[in-house]
Parts: sequence; C-alpha cells; structure tokens
Amino acid sequence: MVKKLKILLIEDDMIEIMKLNRTISRLKLDHTIVEANNGEEALEVLEQKDNLPDIILLDLNMPKINGIEFLKILKADDVLKYIPTIILSTSNNKKDLLECYKTGVAGYVIKPLKYEDYVSKIEKLLAYWSVNELIVV
Amino acid sequence: MSVNQTEILERALKREKAARKAAEKILEEKSRELYLTSQRLEELLDEKSSQLEGIFENILDAYVVIDLKGDFIKFNEAATKLFGYDITRDKINVTHLIHKEDYQYAMSSFLDLQTKGFFKDYEARVYTKSKEVKWVHINGSIVFDKNKKPIAAQGIVRDITAQKASAEKLIESENRLASLIVNLDSGIVLEDENRNIVLTNNKFCELFGIDANPKDLVGMDCVAASERNKVLFKDPEGFLNRMRAIDLEKKVVIGDELEMVDGKILERNYMPIIIGEKSKGFLWTFTDVTLKRTYRKSLEAQKQKYYNIIANMNLGMVELNNNDQILMVNQSFEEMSGYTEAEVIGKNARTLFSSKEGAGLLKEEREKRKKGESNSYEFEAICKKGKRRYWLVSGAPNYNLDGEIIGSIGIHLDVTETKNLEFQKEKLLEKLEKSNDELQEYAHIVSHDLKSPLRSIDALVSWLKEDNKGKLDAVSLQNFGLIETTLEKMEQLITDVLNYSSVGAETSKKEDVDIETMFNDLIKILYIPEHIIIKKCNVLPVIKGDKTKLQQVFQNLISNSVKFIDKDDGNIIIDVEDLKSHYKFSIQDNGIGIDKKYHDKIFKIFHSLKKSKDSSGIGLSIVKKIVNLHEGEIWLDSEPNVGTTFYFTLKK
Repeated sequence: MVKKLKILLIEDDMIEIMKLNRTISRLKLDHTIVEANNGEEALEVLEQKDNLPDIILLDLNMPKINGIEFLKILKADDVLKYIPTIILSTSNNKKDLLECYKTGVAGYVIKPLKYEDYVSKIEKLLAYWSVNELIVV
Repeated sequence: MSVNQTEILERALKREKAARKAAEKILEEKSRELYLTSQRLEELLDEKSSQLEGIFENILDAYVVIDLKGDFIKFNEAATKLFGYDITRDKINVTHLIHKEDYQYAMSSFLDLQTKGFFKDYEARVYTKSKEVKWVHINGSIVFDKNKKPIAAQGIVRDITAQKASAEKLIESENRLASLIVNLDSGIVLEDENRNIVLTNNKFCELFGIDANPKDLVGMDCVAASERNKVLFKDPEGFLNRMRAIDLEKKVVIGDELEMVDGKILERNYMPIIIGEKSKGFLWTFTDVTLKRTYRKSLEAQKQKYYNIIANMNLGMVELNNNDQILMVNQSFEEMSGYTEAEVIGKNARTLFSSKEGAGLLKEEREKRKKGESNSYEFEAICKKGKRRYWLVSGAPNYNLDGEIIGSIGIHLDVTETKNLEFQKEKLLEKLEKSNDELQEYAHIVSHDLKSPLRSIDALVSWLKEDNKGKLDAVSLQNFGLIETTLEKMEQLITDVLNYSSVGAETSKKEDVDIETMFNDLIKILYIPEHIIIKKCNVLPVIKGDKTKLQQVFQNLISNSVKFIDKDDGNIIIDVEDLKSHYKFSIQDNGIGIDKKYHDKIFKIFHSLKKSKDSSGIGLSIVKKIVNLHEGEIWLDSEPNVGTTFYFTLKK
C-alpha cells in the first residue's frame, strides 16, 4: 500500500520549493509538503509534537543554521532523531557526504542540473519512502 | 830292697805328694788369678772397642774406610744412609760414586792422599745407590799398620747438599739483584767513605754520557769525576756545591732537581747505607724526570688552553655531580642563564632551571649519563627572573681517573630564536593548511552557489516550455534549447574549475599503480571512434602514485587526441622509455596539430584552443598539475596538420 507522506522541506531557495511542489503535482502524488525556509523555522514546525512529518528533505546550504548543524540538533532530540532525513544538496563534497552519514542521514541526493533529472530522482525517492514502515511517534 | 829304703822312699813320696799338692794349689790359685785378670782385660778391651765403635756409629757424619784398591770395607750407619749401599752385601768401589764432572778433581784429591797422607775440604758431587746426586764434604786420611805401611784410607763424609743449594740460591738472587741494579732505570752510584765508586750501573753511565762498562768504574774517585761531569749541568758550580754540602752532611736527601745542559732534568737522591751501626757507603741515585716534568708542563698548558676555550666559547658549560648539583659553570652560561657562578654553585640544576614539564626530561637524561650515554636534547629552561629560554644541551658523563662516573658535563646553546622561528613556521604551516582547506571549502561553496541559479533557470525554462506547450514557435523552442545547452556548458565549467582546485588539495597516499592494467581498462571505457586505432609499443610500467589521477592524465590526453584527429585513418601511439629515475611516456596522434606559439599556453588554465561544448580548456592544466605532483614534466612536439606528440615523465 502506498502511504501518503507528510514531508517537511527545509529549503531557502524559492524556486527549489516550487520545483518540489510542481514535481509532486506533476506526478499526481498525494503527499503533503510543509515548507520551512531555514532551520529555525523548521524547528518551530517540529515543536508541534502531535503533527510531526514522516520524512524531512533538507538542503545543506542554508543561511543561519546550516544543514549539518540542523541535522545535529535533530539527532540530539530523543523524538526527532527517528524522522528519516534525506539531504538534498548541490555539493558532492566528500567531506559533507561523510559528515552527513556520520551524523545520521537516511539519504543524500545531489540536485541535478536538468529539471527532468530532478523529477525522476524525486519520484524514486518518494516512491521508496512511501513503501517504508515508519516509526509513528 | 830294705825296709828303710822303702820307708825312706815312702816318706819321700809322701812329701813329694804333699809338695805337689801344695804346688797344684798355688798353681790353681795363680791360674785363677790369671783367669780373672785376663777376664778383666778382655772386658776392658771389649769396652774400649765398643766405645770406639759407638763413636763411629753414633757420629752424625758418615764414616767410611776403603782398602787400597778403593773398595769400601766399612760404612757407619750415617754412611749407609747417605749412600744407600749396604756394604756387607754390595761390593762398592769408590770410583762408582764419583760424579763424572768431578772426576778430575777427585783424582787430584786421591793423589794428595797418596803423597801427603790426607786431604781436606774436598767438596764434590757423588752418586748414591738411587743415582741421586749429592754434594759432600770429605776429610780423608791414610791408615797405616804398626810397620808404617799404608793398609787403608778412612774418611769423614758430610752431606752438604742443602747447604750448597741455598748457597746457589743466594748467588742467584745476588746475580738477579746485581742485574737489576745494572739495568735499573735510575742511575746509581754507591761510594765508600773515601768517595770511591763501589757500584754503579748502566743508566748512570748513560745519564752522564760515560762510554764505559759500569764495572770498569769501580774504584774511581767520585770527587774527580764530578769535577769533570759538572759541565753537563746548567749550573755547574751549584751542582758541585750542593754535592759537597750533601757529602758533608751525610744525611738523606730526596728530590733534588738538576737541569742539564741538554735539557734533561734529573732528580737526585742521596742516602747513607748503614747496616747495623756500620756504614756501608753512600748511595746516589739519579732519575731522568724530564718526561714527567715536561708532561706536567704540557698538561698544564693543555689545561690552560681548554680552560680558555671553555671560558671564552659562546656555549654555556655546566659541570654537575651525580646529584645534579652544579660544580662549575662558564661565563657564557652565566650570561645565558642570568645567574652568576656564585649563585648556582652547589644548587640542584634540575630544580633551578627546569619547569615542571622539563623535570622529567632532565631526570631521564640523568639516567642516561649514569649508564654512560651521551646525547643532545632540547630543553625549556627557566632563567633568572623567570625568563623562559630554549637550550640545546649536549650532555656527556664525566669520569674520574678510575673510570667511575662522577657526574656529567653539559654544553648549552641558546636556541630560543631558532625555536621561535620553528614555532612560527609551524604556525604558518598550520595557517596555510587551514587556508588551503578554506580555499577548498570556498571552491565547493562557490560552485554550489553558482550551480544553484543554473538549476533554477533550467527548471524555469522547462516550466515555460511545459506551460506553453503548443503555443511556442520553432525559433522560440530552438532558443530554449540553446539556453539549456549553455546552462550545461556553464555547469561543466564550474565542475572543471572545482576539479582543478581539488587536484593536489587532497593529500592522497601513493601506491604502486600498474599503468599497463590501468591503460587497458581505460581504453575499454573511452569512446574511440572506429576510424581511430590506438597502438601501444611497450608494456607500460608500474609507477608510485595516485591511480585516479594518473588515469585522468591518460584519459585527458587520449581524449584530446581522439577529439582533434581530422584524418580518415586516425592513429594514436602510446610509448614509454625508461629514464634513470623517471619513465618518459609519449602519446602521439596524427591530428590537427598545434601551432608552436601555443605550446606553452595550452597548459595554462582556460586556454582551450578550440572552444567546444565538451572542452572547457581546463583539461591540460589539470594534466600538468597531476604530472607535476608526480615529480614529472610535460611538453609536446607538434606540427600543424601532421600531428601532435605529448611527452610526460613520471617518477618511478
């Protein structure tokens, strides 16, 4: 059974947000997107413990709290650490990759140049997570 | 016959009978007396002879008697013991006993015996029955009968073997002593009361330049001799005066020094020899102490020299005992440490100069000294007023004459300046590393930031196309296509810049890379058009390096060749040449060639000669960077329209 996911997208770039939204509507998927423009906003969203997202899509390159810092805050939280967090990044920097997996991420996806490629990657990603059993907190 | 007659006869007979009886009685008495007397005489004789016998038997010395033929006829007990023969059984002639070396002497002694009737103090060797040689002393004389006719010879024989041996020993030791004196390393002269030489030796003759045997000097007058010898001394009169004074005093003098003209220094001793109240003479000894004196002098000079070096050298010197107490410091050390010598003498060097962290190090070093090890080490010292300085210390154990370690000596050099430079260098390196890292990081961020808008534009273009599907004319669609291509090119450029900045930034470990295998694998994945043939002339070697980067070199160069071949039959030839420390590779093609004026330019970043979709112009600059990383060089030969050969070397 394909699950309907509640996705928290943490992204400061407006067009990137549009890309995800447009991708989901184009693929006619029934997932809910919650947007946060930066880490602080995201933490506010995550305050509502009765309405936590199923997965988090996290951009690494953000102002204020950057992606890795945010990830560390998440992993230090007894509840939030169970939410699968997938990195969406332009950087294929080995150091970043290593750091992310060390801290604990559920995936690391490079944003491709071409929109078509992006759509295809997001489709696979969401398909994967919608068939996974997730911890309901 | 008448009765009277008969009676007369009978009476006469009676008388006769009676008379005879009386006579018999007297005779009997007389004979008894005689018997007694003879008996007494015999006893007397026995007594006398046994007395005599006792003398011979009991005298300690051997007593022997020989007949005229020389056969022994009597041995007393001592003689039997001495010679080992029992003459009641053995028939022994005197010649058997004479030692063969003493035969002549024995014969002459026998002659004495025959002519003079005796011999005295004959000392010679004899053989005993067990063939042992013994020294004997014999006094002998002839034995005559009542007619003064010689019938035998007798002798008293004394065993003097032991006596003889000790006498020999005495002579031997006297000889030894004499030879010792003769060969003594000191010149000696023993003179008598009249100052005549009794004994002198070789060394004396040598010291005084006397060309004679020491024996020949015996009896010579020392006074006259010294008059002659005085010229040998720097102060001749002083020499004589002192000698006279000593002679007058007749008391022991030790350690007078005499300087000779030839530079020798003699030590003169004088001592009267007195054996039991009686003067036996006066002994002068002369010893050549030149070496000793000059040795002491040169030692003194050496010491002074080193003292000066130590005092004036720019290195601080410290002498410590086994308890780390300071025994001595030089002036430089005073300057280095800020303390005066008086302030540090007797203080514990470790507590005085070391910080808490440094104390352990000094303790370790002390243990090394105790084991006799020398080495040098750096040490952060706390000087007077708490100033911290870095000292390079070269420490060595200090030994006494018996070879025991009595402490250590340390030479100190203030290396604070150098050390500070070193720290500065470390800091700079650290900073450099950090800024390198930052640069690398920066490149990533910049490329990310540059790529993000490209992505957005691409998305927006896609949406424009998507949202206006069917409304756009062919030209607009083509322009959208051009925007997309430009975006791709731009992204490639950013990627290449990032790659270029990454080469050498990562410190990759070097491993053995089999270029042959790597090359064969590479050919399989590269796009090679059918009209191009790649030939390899030699087996490619194994190189120490970074596999990925080396592969990048070959990949770039081969791709370049493929890209620029304009002929219908393309050829790419790969070869290798073994230079001593490097391998020289060559990649030759028959492409368009490169004009000479661009040969240097092409290795510079952003100098692509032919701008194209898949060439950002960074490829060759990356190749050059990698080659340089492998301690090699890259250059090329080329002729336009004929082809190009790239050469590069890689360190073995």
